[in-house]
Amino acid sequence: MRRDIRLILVFLALVTGALWAQTKAAAAKEELQRTTGEVGQYGGRLVISQRAEAKTLNPVTAIDRPSREVMYRTQADLIHINRVTQRTEPALAKSWTASNDGLEYALRLRRGIRFSDGQPFNADDVVFSFQVYLDQNVHSPQRDLLIARDQKITVQKADPYTVVFKLARPDAAAERLFDSVVVLPKHLLEKAYHDGTLGQAWSLTTPPGQIAGLGPFRLKNYVPGEQITLERNPYYWKVDAKDNRLPYLNEITFLVVASEDAEAIRFQTGDTDVISRLNSENYALLAKDQQSRGYTLEDLGPGLEYNFILFNLNDDTRGRLPDIARKQAWFREVKFRQAVSAAIDRSDIVRLVYQGRGEPLWAQVTAGNKLWLNTKIPKPARSLNRARELLKSAGFTWNKDGKLGDHNGQLVEFSIVSSSSNSQRMQIANMVQQDLARLGIEVSVVPLEFRSFLERVTQTHEYEAAVMGLVNGDVDPNPEMNVWMSSGATHLWNLGEKKPATPWEEEIDKLMEQQIVTLNYPARKKLYDRVQEIVADELPIICVASPDILVGSKKNLGNFRPAILDPYTLHNVEELFWKPK
Amino acid sequence: MSRKRMVRIAVVLLSLLYGAILGAGFLAPYDPAEQDRAHPFAPPTRLHFVDAEGSLHGWPFIYGLIPSPDNFAEYQEDRSRAFPVRLFVSGDHYSLLGFSCRRHWFGIDEPGHIFLLGTDGYGRDQFSRLLWGGRISLLAGLIAAALSLSLGMAVGSVSGYFGGFVDDTLMRLVELFLAMPWLYLLFAVRAFLPLHISPTVAFFLLVVVIGTVGWARPARLIRGVVLSARERKYVLAARGFGASDFYLLRRHILPQTMGVFLTQAALLIPQYILAEVTLSFLGLGVGEPVPSWGNMLGSLQQYHILASYWWMLAPALVLVPVFWGYQVLADFLHERLEFGH
Amino acid sequence: MAYLLRRLLHGALVLVGVSVLSFLFVQLAPGEFFSDMRLNPQVSPETIRHLRAQYGLDRALPIRYVRWARSVAKGDWGYSFAYGLPVSKLIWSRARNTLLLTITSALLAWLISIPLGIYAAERRDRWGDRVTVAGSSALLTVPDLLLALALLILAIRTNAFAAGGMTSPDFAELGTVAKIKDVAAHFTLPLAALVLGTLPIFFRHVRAGMIEALALPSIQSARAHGIPRSRILFRYALPAAANSLISLFGFSIATLLSASLLVEVVMSWPGLGPMLLEAILARDLYVVIGAVMLSTFFLVAGNLVADVLLYLSDPRIRRGPA
Repeated sequence: MRRDIRLILVFLALVTGALWAQTKAAAAKEELQRTTGEVGQYGGRLVISQRAEAKTLNPVTAIDRPSREVMYRTQADLIHINRVTQRTEPALAKSWTASNDGLEYALRLRRGIRFSDGQPFNADDVVFSFQVYLDQNVHSPQRDLLIARDQKITVQKADPYTVVFKLARPDAAAERLFDSVVVLPKHLLEKAYHDGTLGQAWSLTTPPGQIAGLGPFRLKNYVPGEQITLERNPYYWKVDAKDNRLPYLNEITFLVVASEDAEAIRFQTGDTDVISRLNSENYALLAKDQQSRGYTLEDLGPGLEYNFILFNLNDDTRGRLPDIARKQAWFREVKFRQAVSAAIDRSDIVRLVYQGRGEPLWAQVTAGNKLWLNTKIPKPARSLNRARELLKSAGFTWNKDGKLGDHNGQLVEFSIVSSSSNSQRMQIANMVQQDLARLGIEVSVVPLEFRSFLERVTQTHEYEAAVMGLVNGDVDPNPEMNVWMSSGATHLWNLGEKKPATPWEEEIDKLMEQQIVTLNYPARKKLYDRVQEIVADELPIICVASPDILVGSKKNLGNFRPAILDPYTLHNVEELFWKPK
Repeated sequence: MSRKRMVRIAVVLLSLLYGAILGAGFLAPYDPAEQDRAHPFAPPTRLHFVDAEGSLHGWPFIYGLIPSPDNFAEYQEDRSRAFPVRLFVSGDHYSLLGFSCRRHWFGIDEPGHIFLLGTDGYGRDQFSRLLWGGRISLLAGLIAAALSLSLGMAVGSVSGYFGGFVDDTLMRLVELFLAMPWLYLLFAVRAFLPLHISPTVAFFLLVVVIGTVGWARPARLIRGVVLSARERKYVLAARGFGASDFYLLRRHILPQTMGVFLTQAALLIPQYILAEVTLSFLGLGVGEPVPSWGNMLGSLQQYHILASYWWMLAPALVLVPVFWGYQVLADFLHERLEFGH
Repeated sequence: MAYLLRRLLHGALVLVGVSVLSFLFVQLAPGEFFSDMRLNPQVSPETIRHLRAQYGLDRALPIRYVRWARSVAKGDWGYSFAYGLPVSKLIWSRARNTLLLTITSALLAWLISIPLGIYAAERRDRWGDRVTVAGSSALLTVPDLLLALALLILAIRTNAFAAGGMTSPDFAELGTVAKIKDVAAHFTLPLAALVLGTLPIFFRHVRAGMIEALALPSIQSARAHGIPRSRILFRYALPAAANSLISLFGFSIATLLSASLLVEVVMSWPGLGPMLLEAILARDLYVVIGAVMLSTFFLVAGNLVADVLLYLSDPRIRRGPA
C-alpha cells in the first residue's frame, strides 16, 4: 500500500516536471512585458469597495463606472496611457510606427500570449474587436470615441502579429485613442456578434468559463448585491524585474457599499484595503486614525474635475420660456458674467467646501494636468469693487435698498440649479448665493434630483444658471472636443448651435479643429492655451474649483502608486502585493 | 408625579417652544442664513465668568476664536480680549408680526461672535437656525398630519360604517395608495414647480402632497375601530330607535375613534417632521439657505459631521421634548374624551 | 369562501392599478435611464437614440405598458436597463436577503413589544409605564436614518460588529459554522436598527389596545370579582385587544419588503433597498416596477391575512353590513 503511494508520487513528480518544462518552453516564445516596480511576493487578496454594483463585464456595453472598474481588471488594450506619467506606453502592441502624414499606424502585437482561458491571441482578435466596435448596429460607446469629428478608421491584418490602422485625417492623439479600447476574444464572442446578441453577452451571471480577457485577473464568482471576486489570470503577459509572472495577488474582491460614507467607514474599519475616492471631509476624519488602524492616506493634488457655474445661453428659450429668455439678456452680457466671476470668493470655496484640499480655478484645465495647463491664465482674487464697476459699465444700477437692477429697472434675480446628490456642488451654490447677495443680486438655489437636473440642463433648457462639474478621463484636449465645439453634444451653455453664436465661439471652433490635426506638441499646446484664455475671458462657464484626488491604502500594500487619472488606484493592480508584516 | 402635573409640564414646554419659535427673530442673535466663513464648524462658544487674571465677573463674557492655521475647523480662544454678553442689542434685520426690527435679545460687539450651539459648515449660527427652523418644521408637521388624519378619518369612518361594497372599494384604494412609488410623484411635482418659487412655498406644497397621500394608514386603523364600534350594544340600540346614520356616526361612533385618532396624531406629527430628512436627502426638502429641523438633521447623515461635531446634534435633541409633549397631550385628551372626566 | 375569492380578485385588481399608476408616475418624473449619458462627452446623441429605441423607450406609454403586461402574463418581468438581466432574477436574489432581515426583526419586535405593552398598560401611570412610554417616545424621535448611523458609529468605535454588508470577503472559503457566525456578526447591526425603529410603534399599539381592553366593563367587573391579575390579562384582556393586534400583525406582513429599505442602504445590506434606491434614481423602469409590484403583493397579502383573521376572531363582523 505504502509502496503504491510512493510510486504514484514519483509518477506525479515526473509528469509535473515534464509539464513544467513544457510550459517553460512555451513561455520562452512568449513576448512578455517586463515591469519596473519593486519585486513583490505572491499571494493574498485585495478588497476594495464600489459605490454601486457592477452591472456587466461586457466591454461593449459597460458604460457605468463600477462595471468598468471591474471589467478593466479583466481586459487589456493595445496601447495604454500610463496613469502616472500620463503618456502612452506599449501594451498588447509591443511597438508601433506611424506614417509621416499621421494617417497610418502599424501596430506589432506580442507573440505567443494567451487569453485568460488559455486560447492564443493574435491579429484576428484585434481585427474582430474593431469590427465590433466600429459596427453601426452594435452602437458601442467606443465607436463614438473612435470616429469622433468625422474620423474614419479602417483596420487590416498585415500578418498574424501586425495590424494596420488607417485614418481619414490625422489625429494628434491617435495613440491615446487605443487606451481602454480592449481586445475581445474572437473565439468566445464571434457567434454572439453574428447572432446580434452581443449586447446580452457576458453578464454577471454568465459562467466564468465563458468569459475571458487579456487582463491580469478573470472572473471567479459573483454574489448579487454583495461582491464580485476576480482571480489571478495565470496567462497574463507581464513579468516583474526577476521574470516572475504577474499579478502577485491571488484575488481581488469588489465589495458593494451603498454610499460614499459607507466606503470611508469600511476602509476605516479595515474591511477594505484600498479606497479610491475619498472626499475631503472623510479624509480629515480618517486621517486621525492613520497610525492606530494601519493605513495611509494620500492627497494627490487636484485631479481633472472642474466645477463651474453655467449660465443658460441657449437660443431655443425665446417664446417658449419668456421669463428665462428675458434674463438671458443679462447672462449674454459678458461683463455680467465677468462681474459674477469677480464676486465669487474661490478661496473661501476651496477652504470650506474642500477643507483646503482643492484648487481655485479660472479656466477648465486644472493644475493636475501638467501637460496642458496654461500657467499664464490670470488668477484675480475676489473683488466686489471690480464686480460693481463691471456691472455699472454694462448699464446695471442699484436701487435704494442696494438691489441690483438692469437698465429697464428690472431687479436682477435668478436661480441656480444643482444636483441634490452632490453635497459639494450644493455647497458651492450656497456660497455663490451669498457672494452674489453682496452685489445686490438675489439668487435662489434650487436642489434637483440628478436626473431632473440633467433633463433641464441638457433637454428642456428650463434653468437660469447651474452649478455642475465635468471630469476628464484623460489629460488630452481631444476628449473635450464635444464640450468646446459649438456643434458639440455637450456644449452645455448653448446646445444645438447650427453655427457659432459668437465670434469667440467661432475662434474656439477653429482652434479645436486645428489642434486635433496638429501633430507637434508645442504648437498644439499653443492652440489649446488660447482656448483656455478665451474661456477665462469670455466665461461661457465660470470655473470655480477643482478638488484634490484623495486615496488611501493599507500600509503594507507594495507598489501602490495612485495617480490622478481614472481609476486612481488600481491601474497597476498586477503589480500590487502584500509585504510581510 | 401626578398625571395632571405631567400634562401641565407638557403644556408649558410646548408653549415655551412655540413661543420661542414665534419670537425667533428677537431671540436669535444672528440671521439664520448669514455665513461667517471664518468660523466653519465652530464649537459652542463658552460663556466665562472668570477672566484670565482669575477675577470673578457678575455678568458672562466670552473670548474671540482664532482658527488654527493648519487644521480645518479647529479653534483656540483668544484670551487677550473679552466680549461681555450684551442684552437687547441692535443687529441683523428681521420682521416680527409684520414690524421690521433690529433689536435682538442678546449679542456680542463686533468683531466677537457668540455661537451658543456652535456653527455649521458655512459658519452659520446653529442656535439661530434652530429657532428659525422650528417655524417651518413644527408647522409642516401639523399641516401634514392634519391633512392625513382628516382624510383618513373621513374615508375610514365611511368605510367602516357602511361596510360592504363601499368598504371593499375604499380599502382597495387604501392598498393602492400604500403601495405606490410616491417618490416619483414627488420628483414630478418638484419638476413641475416653477424655478422661482421660494424654498418655503415649494416645501409646503410638498408637505401638502405627502399629507394628502398619507391618509391611507390612519384610514385603515380608523375603519377597524368603526367596524367594531358599529356593533356595540348601544349603537345597535340607537339604531333600533331609528337614529339616522349621520347621528350615529357623530354621536356614538366617531367619539370611539378619538383614541386612535389622537394616538395617530401624536405619531404622525413627529413622523412628518422627520419625513423632511428623507425628502432633503432626495433634494425635495426645504431649500438652502432657509433652515428647518429636517434639513439640519439631514446634514447629520454625513458621517464626518456625526462623528466630529457633536453640537450638530442639537436639532435631534430638541425634537425629544416636542414629541414627548405631544404624546402626553394626546394621552390626556384621549382619556378626557373617552371617559369624560 | 366566497369572501376569500372576492378578496383575492380585488387584490389582483389592486396589483393592476398599481402597475398602471407606477408606469404613469415614472413617466411623469423627469429624465430617464439614458439621460446621464448625455453628459458624457464621449457618447454621441445617435448612440443614445439607438439605445432608447432598442429598449423601447421611444414608444408611447400605453404601448410600453401593454407590452410589459403581455410579457408579465408569460412570467417575464422585463429586463433591467442597467444590468441587462431579467428583473425577476435580479429582484429575487435581493428580496431573499431583505426578508431574512425583516422577518427576524418583526419576530423580535413582537416578542418584545407584546409583554412590554401588556406590562405598561397594566401599570398605567405608574413608574414602569412612564419609563417605557418615555423610552419609546425618545426612540420615536430619532429618525431611522440617524439611528442606523449612530449604531454604525458605535460599531466603528468598538470594532465589535461588522460595519456593513452581509458577509466577509472570504465568506466562500469559510466552514459552515464560521459562515453562520460571519452572517450573524453582520446581521446584528441592521437587526438592532430595525427592531429599535419598529419597537416603539408596536409597543404603543399594544399598550393602547390593552388599555382599551382593560377599560371594558366586562374586564372591570372581572377585576371586581377578584379574578387573578395574570388570568385577567391573558385570558380576558388579550383576546379583547386581539383586533388591534391582528391589524398590527397584518401591518408587519405588509411592510416586510419595505420596512428595511433605509437601514439596508445605510448598512450596505445586499437587499432590495440599495438596489431600489439606485434603480429609482437611475430610472431603471422595470426594476422599479417589479419591486413595487412585489411589495404591493406583500401589502395586499398582509391586509388579506389580517382581514381574514379579524373575520374569524370577531364573529360580529361576520354578519356583514347592517
